[in-house]
Amino acid sequence: MALFEAKDLHLRFGDRVVLENVSLAFEAGQLSGIMGPNGAGKTTCFNVLTGRYKPDRGQVLWQGEDITGRSPQAIARLGIARSFQLMNLFDEFSVFENIAIALPQTRARSRNMVREAYADAALVDEAHAILKRVGLAERAGDEAKSLPYGARRALEIGVALACRPKLLFLDEPTAGLGSDGRARLAELILKLKGSVTIVIIEHDMEFLFSLADRISVIHWGQVIAKGTPAALKANPWVEASNLGRLN
Amino acid sequence: MAPPRTAPTITWAMIVVWLVFASVPLWIEKVGLYQYLGVEILIFAMYALAYNLVLGHAGLPSFGHGAFVGVGAYAVGLAQFNVAANLWICLAVAVGAAAVAGALVALFISHRRGIYYALMTIAFGQIFWFVAIKAHSLTGGEDGLLKIARLPATFGMTTFDLTSNVALYYFVLVVFAAVSFLLWRIVHSPFGRVVKAIKQNETRARFVGYDVWRFKAAILVLSACLSGLAGALFSMAQTSAFPDVMSLHYSGYVVMMTLVGGGLVSFWGPVIGAAAFFLARDIIGAVTTGWMLWFGMSFVVLVLFKPEGIAGIYQSLAQRRAKTAAPVVAPTSQVR
Amino acid sequence: MSFMNLLPHLLNGLTLGLLFSLIALGFMLILGLMEQINLAHGSLFALGAYFAYALCAARLPLPPDWLAVWAGVPLIWRFAAAVVLAPVLVAPFGLILERLMRRTYGRDPLYGLLLTFGVAMVIEELIRVVWGTPDYMLPVPREISGGFIMLDLIWSAYRFWAAGMAVAAMAVVWVIVERTRFGAMVKAGAHDSEIVQALGIDLTKLRVWVFVLGTMMAAFAGVIMAPLWGIRPHMGVDAVVPAFLIIVLGGVGSFWGAAIGGLLVGMVVGLSAAYASEWSMLSMYLLLLLVVTFRARGLFGKKSVLEV
Repeated sequence: MALFEAKDLHLRFGDRVVLENVSLAFEAGQLSGIMGPNGAGKTTCFNVLTGRYKPDRGQVLWQGEDITGRSPQAIARLGIARSFQLMNLFDEFSVFENIAIALPQTRARSRNMVREAYADAALVDEAHAILKRVGLAERAGDEAKSLPYGARRALEIGVALACRPKLLFLDEPTAGLGSDGRARLAELILKLKGSVTIVIIEHDMEFLFSLADRISVIHWGQVIAKGTPAALKANPWVEASNLGRLN
Repeated sequence: MAPPRTAPTITWAMIVVWLVFASVPLWIEKVGLYQYLGVEILIFAMYALAYNLVLGHAGLPSFGHGAFVGVGAYAVGLAQFNVAANLWICLAVAVGAAAVAGALVALFISHRRGIYYALMTIAFGQIFWFVAIKAHSLTGGEDGLLKIARLPATFGMTTFDLTSNVALYYFVLVVFAAVSFLLWRIVHSPFGRVVKAIKQNETRARFVGYDVWRFKAAILVLSACLSGLAGALFSMAQTSAFPDVMSLHYSGYVVMMTLVGGGLVSFWGPVIGAAAFFLARDIIGAVTTGWMLWFGMSFVVLVLFKPEGIAGIYQSLAQRRAKTAAPVVAPTSQVR
Repeated sequence: MSFMNLLPHLLNGLTLGLLFSLIALGFMLILGLMEQINLAHGSLFALGAYFAYALCAARLPLPPDWLAVWAGVPLIWRFAAAVVLAPVLVAPFGLILERLMRRTYGRDPLYGLLLTFGVAMVIEELIRVVWGTPDYMLPVPREISGGFIMLDLIWSAYRFWAAGMAVAAMAVVWVIVERTRFGAMVKAGAHDSEIVQALGIDLTKLRVWVFVLGTMMAAFAGVIMAPLWGIRPHMGVDAVVPAFLIIVLGGVGSFWGAAIGGLLVGMVVGLSAAYASEWSMLSMYLLLLLVVTFRARGLFGKKSVLEV
C-alpha cells in the first residue's frame, strides 16, 4: 500500500475543469515528482492533496485512511507538510522563530498561556538542527524578511521540515533560483531523500530527472504519463507535449 | 549555539511603570491635577493593554471593544444589586459576562480579518450599545445604572475601604500590575507566539497545523475578559455605568490611545497612549473646548507619518543616538 | 396588524431605504476604486446637512446687509440653492481627504481605516466647534412640506420628495457608472489598476474624481435627510454605519447590491418600527448577521478587497 494516494480527483472552478481523473500514489521513502507546464494544474493538485481545496469527486488516502476534505491543519497534524511556490513565511519573526513555531513541540504547548515559549533546550536544539540542515544556522537571529531570496527559499523548506513530516510536498522549490541556488537545493533534497518521503512539483525537467524515483506528468488537469525518469524520457507523449522545451 | 532571545519574567520596564504609577498619588495634586484622573488613566491603560492583545498582537482591528467594557461595567453593578455585595464576586461576574459577550462575537467573526473584521466588530459594538440604551429596566437606559458602591476589598482578615480615590487608585494599581504581568506572559507564551504567527501569515499557520479560528476566537475572548474587568473598575470609579463607553466613539478612542502610544511596536505603548489621551483631555481641554479636534488631528498625522506612535518615535530616536554614538571602526563596505 | 396600518411604515422604510442606498453607493464607489473604507463618509454627509442649514436658515459668515438680502429670498429658492450648493461646498473636504488617503494606498488597508476614522473624529469636532452641540431642524419650504390625505391616512409630502430626489440621484449615478467612459474606467480600475494604467488612464486623476463624486453624493444625501433626521454632530455615525452595513450585506462592488441592500435595510427598519418602534434600528444588525452567516460575501458580492 502506498503511503499517500489520490484516486480519481475531480475539481472544477465554475465551468472550468481544473483537475480531471487525477490519480497519484506516493511510496514511502521515495522521491516523487510532478511535472507539467505552467497552468497545468500542478499547484491546484497540491492544494487538494493538502486540504486547501475540497475535490468535487475522488478520494485522498493517507496510509489507507480516507482524509478527503479535511482541513489543512488536520492534514498537517498527520505529518504531511508543504512548502509554497510563492513564499509564505512569518516575515516579522526571526529565522529561528519561523522554525520554532512550526515544531510539533510548540504545537503541543500552544494552549499554554503562561510559560516562556522557547525556553526548552530540546526544542531550541531541534530548531537549530533544522537550520543547520537547510544551511541557515548563521542567520538564526535575522528577521525573515531581511533574508536574500535564496535564503528565504531555504527557510521555506525549513519551516516545512520543522513540522517533522512523514511526507513533504515541495511546490516549485527552484522558482526564481539561479543555477547556483539550484545546485545547492538539489544537494539539500538529496540529503533529505530516504529519511522522508518527498513529492516535488517542478517544471525544470533536468532538476527533477536527476532527483526523482518516479515522475507523474500533468497536463490540462490530467495525468498524461507516469513512470521512472528513464522510462519517461522515452515516452512519445512527453516528447509530443513539448515538455522538454518548457524551461 | 546561542540560545534564542527569551523574555525575562519581570522586566525593568515593568518595574519602572509600576513604580511610576505607584508614586502618582504623591504628586498629582501638586502639579495641579486631581486623584481621580490617575484612576481614569490607570483603568484605561489596562483597557488599552487588553485591547492591544487584539490589535497589535493578533492584528485584528476591532472597532467595537467598548461593548466588552460596557458589559463589564453593567455586570459589576447588576451583580452588586442582585447577586451579592462582595467585591470579588462582582468582579468575577463582570469578567464572566464579558467573556460570554466576547465568545458570542467571536463565534461570528473569527473567520474574518482585516477590514471585514473591523466592520463586523463595529456592527456588534453598535448592537451592544443599542441594547444598553434601550433595555431600560436592566441598564437604566441613557440615565445609566446609578449608585454602584465601591465595595470594600477583603483579603482574608484585613479589609480595605475603597471609597476614597487614593484607596481606589492603589487597588486599581494592584489589578493593573497583575493584568500587565499576565499579558506580558501571554504575549511570550507558546499561545501568544502562535497568535503572533497567525497575524503575519494565516495560511502558513494553518499549514503547519494550527487551528487558526480557535486562536483568533480565544484571543478575542481573553481581551474581552480583561476589557470587562477594566469596565467593572470604571463603573466602580464612576459609581455608575453609562452606555457611552459602548459607543462607536469610545471604541474608537481606545484604538486611538493604542495607536498613538505605539501599541503596534511596543508592549507598553497603549499605556503611554492612555496617559497621553487623558492628559490631552485635561490640559488641552483647559485651554479650548475642542480638545478632541487637536487630539484627532495629531492622531491623523501619526497614522500618516508615524503609525508606530510615541513609542516608535522614541525607538527610532534611541536607534539614531546609538548609531551616532558608536564610532565607525572600519569602512563598512560589506553590504549584507 | 392590517396592511393599511403597515402602509405608512412601509413608505417610511422605502424612503429611508432609498436614502441609505444613496449614501451606500457613494461609499461603495470609493471602496471599489480606492480599495479603502472611508469611515469619514458619514462626516461628509453631516457636513452637507450643516451647510444646507447655513444656507436655508441664512446663517452664513457674510456682511449683515448681504445676509438680510439672502434671508429675504423665498425659502423654496434657498432650499433649492442648498440642495445644489451644499454638495459643492463639501467637495473640497473630500479633495483634502483624498489627498491624505494617497499616503495609505498600497499599504495595509488598516491604515486607511484608521486615517478615515481619525478624520471623522476631526470633522465631527469641527462641527461642534463651529455650530455647537444643539440639534437643528432644516426648514423645509411650504411647497414641499406638510401632509395630505390619501386612503384615509395622513402622508408627509416631504417623504415623497425625499424618496424622489434619492431615486433621481441614483439614476444619475447609474448613468455615470454604467453608460459613460468615466464609469467604464472606474469599473476597470476597480478590477485591475494595472490594466487601467496600461490603457493610459490617469488613475490618480480618476481617484480624485471618484472621490469627489462620492463626497457629493454623501453631502446630497445629508441635505435630503436633514429634515427627516434633524441635524446634530453625530449624525455622521448614524449614516456611515448603515452605509457599510449595506455594503457588507449587498456585497462589495455591485451597484444593485448597494441599491437593493439599502432598500432591504430601510424596509426592515420601517417594518420593525411598526411592531417595536424602540428597537427598530436593531433589526438592521440582525439582518446583517443573518445574511453574512449564510452568505459570507453578501447577497451579490464577489471576491473583494475586504477579504485580504
